[in-house]
Amino acid sequence: MTRSELIFNKVSRILEWIMIVIFALLVLDVLFQVFSRYLLGTSFTWTEEFARFALIWMTILGAAYLNGKKEHLSMDFLYQKFSKANQKKASILIEVLIFLFALIVMVIGGLNLVYTTLHLEQLSGTLRIPLGYVYAIMPFSGFLIMCFSVYHISNIYNNKKENQS
Amino acid sequence: MEVISIIVLFVSFFTLLLLKVPVAYSIGIATTLSLLLNIDKLPGLTTIAQRMTTGIDSFALLAIPFFILAGDIMKRGGIANRLINFAKSLVSSLPGGLAYVNILASMLFGAISGSALAAASAIGSIMTDRMEEEGYPRTLSASVNITASTTGLLIPPSNILIVYALASGGTASVAALFIAGYLPGILLGFAIMGYVAFIAISKGYPKGKRATFFEIWTFFRKAFFSLLLLVIVVGGIVAGIFTATEASVIAVLYAAILSLAYGDMKIKDFKGVLLSSAKTTAVVMFLICTSMAMSWLFSFEGIPEMISSFLLESLNNKFAIFLAINVILLIIGTFMDMTPAVLIFTPIFLPVVTALGMDPVHFGIVIVLNLCIGICTPPVGTLLFVGSGVAKVSVTQVIKPLLPFLAIMLVVLMLISFIPEISMFLPRLFGL
Amino acid sequence: EETSNKVLYLGHTLPQSHPVHKGILEFQKALEAKSKGTLKVKIFPDAQLGSEREVLELLQIGSVAATKVSAATLSNFVPEYHILGIPYLFRDKQHQFDVLEGDVGKSILEKGSKFWLRGLCYYDAGSRSFYTSEKAIRTPEDLKGLKIRVMNNQMAINMVNSMGGSATPLAYGELYTAIQQGVVDGAENNPPSFVSSNHYEISKYYTLDQHSSVPDVLLIGTKFWNKLSDQEKIWVQEAADESAQAQKKFWNDSVEESMRVAKAAGVEIIIPEKSLFAEKSKSVVEDFVKEFPEMAPIVTQIKNN
Ligand code: NA
Ligand code: NA
Repeated sequence: MTRSELIFNKVSRILEWIMIVIFALLVLDVLFQVFSRYLLGTSFTWTEEFARFALIWMTILGAAYLNGKKEHLSMDFLYQKFSKANQKKASILIEVLIFLFALIVMVIGGLNLVYTTLHLEQLSGTLRIPLGYVYAIMPFSGFLIMCFSVYHISNIYNNKKENQS
Repeated sequence: MEVISIIVLFVSFFTLLLLKVPVAYSIGIATTLSLLLNIDKLPGLTTIAQRMTTGIDSFALLAIPFFILAGDIMKRGGIANRLINFAKSLVSSLPGGLAYVNILASMLFGAISGSALAAASAIGSIMTDRMEEEGYPRTLSASVNITASTTGLLIPPSNILIVYALASGGTASVAALFIAGYLPGILLGFAIMGYVAFIAISKGYPKGKRATFFEIWTFFRKAFFSLLLLVIVVGGIVAGIFTATEASVIAVLYAAILSLAYGDMKIKDFKGVLLSSAKTTAVVMFLICTSMAMSWLFSFEGIPEMISSFLLESLNNKFAIFLAINVILLIIGTFMDMTPAVLIFTPIFLPVVTALGMDPVHFGIVIVLNLCIGICTPPVGTLLFVGSGVAKVSVTQVIKPLLPFLAIMLVVLMLISFIPEISMFLPRLFGL
Repeated sequence: EETSNKVLYLGHTLPQSHPVHKGILEFQKALEAKSKGTLKVKIFPDAQLGSEREVLELLQIGSVAATKVSAATLSNFVPEYHILGIPYLFRDKQHQFDVLEGDVGKSILEKGSKFWLRGLCYYDAGSRSFYTSEKAIRTPEDLKGLKIRVMNNQMAINMVNSMGGSATPLAYGELYTAIQQGVVDGAENNPPSFVSSNHYEISKYYTLDQHSSVPDVLLIGTKFWNKLSDQEKIWVQEAADESAQAQKKFWNDSVEESMRVAKAAGVEIIIPEKSLFAEKSKSVVEDFVKEFPEMAPIVTQIKNN
């Protein structure tokens, strides 16, 4: 196994654990909300906000993870008809497009969003945490997606070289 | 709205989709290109990043991961087999019995889970082999399984109805939509059974042995606690014990306890189930992220008003407008996945139909059933792909046997579009 | 700087029948008249561009020019607006608008510029009161054990809890069903919203305790504002001020009409002894002053106005 494969596997493993932990916390949080209302007769104000923010993190981090594993939903009815060589070219093009989207929208747009909300000190309604922390998942995941795209492109490129030699 | 930015949006979206760029990214990239023609660069990019995040910032949407998780636990926990055995004891003695078992089991699985894909994969993987043993072509089994699984999107709980409630801006409540989905879902299931009866008799497919009352009772008892979930979730929402989101987490707790009690799962198995559900959630929710950005772009450019005034002025007949909307949605459904289609087109069509006196709950059922047809058709048909995949047949082989089933769905769609009572009877009865 | 054609995109969350939307239409009309059509206003009602919080961010980002939000939402961006959420802050409507249109109100609007959200004017959003589906609230004691839906906002939560109720934050979209099914026992809002949300259909009692009078605020993003010429800035401010005066009348008409609709539907209107509720909620003010000591002088100034 190459060094980059080792790093890739390690990062994927860490992302898996983060997703599992966030999901488990989500389940406990909303269960706690139902039971506190019925058994304790009180509503805690933070349960809803925590759940909403956790869902955002799980989704956008999960999207990065799916990029690593190439498990996003896609349509391959035309792709299947391409020749092997064209499929390789298309695969590289796909990764380049994803890389650019992650860079331009998720990292640049996302960082400006984080900067704006942190600089202007917006706080969340009940947890009173800066909204910028919630939004930070966007540039962070965007950066991961860019890394995964580079990793995939280098794999496709290396494969090509092996086949030629 | 400049024509050029519409053209950029659609041309880039289709090109990307055809190139096998993931659907969520195709939507995101097309939106970015089109928006940058209208807004300054940095504010535009930041707005898309913001819409992608805030688009899923909703407590109501939490029901989606929870129903996915509950469904995954049930799939692992031996619940699918219990439902199939119970369905078999009820209907296998009819001509073409196993086909009915497939339909009924898909409906029952749909009634306790929120997604059609879960039903198609849980029931389809077991039923296709059993049906082949009795002489049914695998392609026919796949067609039955694919179309019958769509009933689970109408019969509550249903993730897509939750998405619709969000897209309707709260004018249709999840509780009312859930109750409204029962009759249309059951009607669709029966219509598919009707067509199966026709081919079973003409092709002479075998009937099974009639089950004794005792056998039915035994299989019912074994499936009882699985079926009870249906009562807890929907009953709990209608009785006001909890909201739809809270009901979904109760479903997770219940399914977990049940599969532990059945001995089909152990505590350590939950790690794997949480991960696979988190992955499914990320697929669905990331699609929602970029769809919400595209939907915002449409609002910003005034597309909803444009289409709505065009429809209302050029077709001054209520019947014609409903029909036109149905045709447009059918076309959209062939090339767009269900979730983005609901999020992007509900804000466009809902104001038109409500102006003509249609209830938002009724329209929710219509748009979902319409797009149910779309997810069974190529080129973009998630359910078609999953259903063919579990049946181990190619998509092109399934298309021919699938066509009559799609025609049946179209007939049911027309009935449900033009007879509001089928959808609205139950919600009105419960005062929702 | 030359005046040139500009379009002001304005997003808000209210339906077009709402009296505040009618106020915004006045703003549009006045601005287009003053600028002879060089400054156009494009209005997006019904939360087409997002929730109140989301559109405020879009103003800061610079893709949307203007919005109308509740001062309660605004307080998470500009802390001074917290003051306007204090229960029983104003003695009556006259006092409220003397304060809002006087120095204190103007200085709060001005505070927003630091956060790229310049306040233009206040719109009347009336007073919020409790409504309940089954149990009547006549004194604060009746609130004991009742689950009352509130906005997800700390001051609103503290207020209901201080009066003895059990504050339950819940999404507005889920509220109709939640009341109907008994997930909550009631909620609180002003008369036009009580009626336009159809909550009057499922509520037997409306208790006019008028616990808070949080105004709506018309805002413009400083990113857009700074692109305007001095003359254009004057037009925008004048148009906002004129619309605020017109809006008060729309609001009063709407309150009268809403109360008529609610009564006709059989809702019992309860006029309680307000001072009993005000007494109970004093702790909220004390807690607030402890959390934001720098705002204590403004609160005192308002009370002595
Ligand atoms: Na279902
Ligand atoms: Na399709």
